[in-house]
Amino acid sequence: MTSRHRRKSRTVDGGEDAVSFFSDLFRRKETSAQVAKERLLTVLVHDRVKLTPEALESFKTDLAELIQRYFPSVQPSEIEVSLLREHTSDRLKADIPLRRALD
Amino acid sequence: MARVITVTSGKGGVGKTTTTANLGTALAIQGARVVVIDADIGLRNLDVVMGLENRIVYDLVDVVEGRARLRQSLIKDKRVPELYLLPAAQTRDKDAVSSDDMIDLTNQLRQEYDFVLIDCPAGIETGFKNAIAGADEILIVTTPEVSAVRDADRVVGLVEAAEKGPPRLIINRLNPRLVAKGEMLSMDEVVEILALEPIGVVPEDEHIVSSTNRGEAAVFNQSSQAGRAFHNIARRLNGEHVPLLEPTEQNGVFDRLFGGLFGRRART
Ligand SMILES: Nc1ncnc2c1ncn2[C@@H]1O[C@H](COP(=O)(O)OP(=O)(O)O)[C@@H](O)[C@H]1O
Ligand SMILES: [Mg+2]
Repeated sequence: MTSRHRRKSRTVDGGEDAVSFFSDLFRRKETSAQVAKERLLTVLVHDRVKLTPEALESFKTDLAELIQRYFPSVQPSEIEVSLLREHTSDRLKADIPLRRALD
Repeated sequence: MARVITVTSGKGGVGKTTTTANLGTALAIQGARVVVIDADIGLRNLDVVMGLENRIVYDLVDVVEGRARLRQSLIKDKRVPELYLLPAAQTRDKDAVSSDDMIDLTNQLRQEYDFVLIDCPAGIETGFKNAIAGADEILIVTTPEVSAVRDADRVVGLVEAAEKGPPRLIINRLNPRLVAKGEMLSMDEVVEILALEPIGVVPEDEHIVSSTNRGEAAVFNQSSQAGRAFHNIARRLNGEHVPLLEPTEQNGVFDRLFGGLFGRRART
């Protein structure tokens, strides 16, 4: 959905629509150079480790399985795995929100 | 003892040939003995950019295959003493030259010159491998565009694998007006993404077109910003400390208006 479409459907007091309106506004401020930089940072790490998107997906599935063995309360859908470039080092990052274990 | 420097990029059309011609000429103007080699076998180009196309008798493949001696194959530049070109062959056989041939060739030149610059073909295949085989140092040219930067990074990996040491980066065709608007990656951003040491930034410059039309390097043209940038890269190659600043539109305009008056130059 383009930002123009979204703005049309915005309701005056609509919570979520207002949020997406503002996040769209924010995104519009992102320059094409910033977008280029972000895209490059991602694509370079993928190129460097020669990992196909399919392989990354299967890694995520395996990781979710492993994590669930030790942390059954973790929701697999909440696990975020990314390859990224920070300063001068490339890293594999996994963000795994923990939940209180049920007794 | 010459330093052998290969100018490469991965992606084609980003300015390798322009850079080789201008850097070679600038180094020679600054007093060095220079040979530039066109390693783009089958797609000879450095000769026309330097305006030497009518003087070619022998080429790189003639030397490698023993039909001509290296000395007699070097074409002397029209204007600068101690600047020579070894042209590429126009053969279609890409395997006419091997990496060992290039190592032999550069070793022969090392004795008599200060710099040997090699213009590398695009891509990462045999032609690229041959062009870096004899090199001591690598310069990677990129433009501030996603595809060029991505290909440059691929080349960095291959250069490191070939144990050539960390390459240095030339950012070509930077347009300060677009950078100011946020519509083009800046020098700092490209440097950060590639994590390479920059040796120069060359602005987008119409003089490159007219210089290439005439077959004269832009470094001869006092009013060419790109020409000045190449002169500065040549100085940095020689170990001179020339500050490297992000080119801005202002210093371009300032330079045009007052450059002559105050003798100030944009340090790109
Ligand atoms: N700084 C520059 N400003 C304007 N045009 C440029 C600049 N650098 C290169 N060009 C032009 O870009 C084209 C490709 O350059 P070239 O040196 O042949 O690239 P490559 O050897 O990497 O294929 C040529 O037409 C050249 O004149
Ligand atoms: Mg070329």
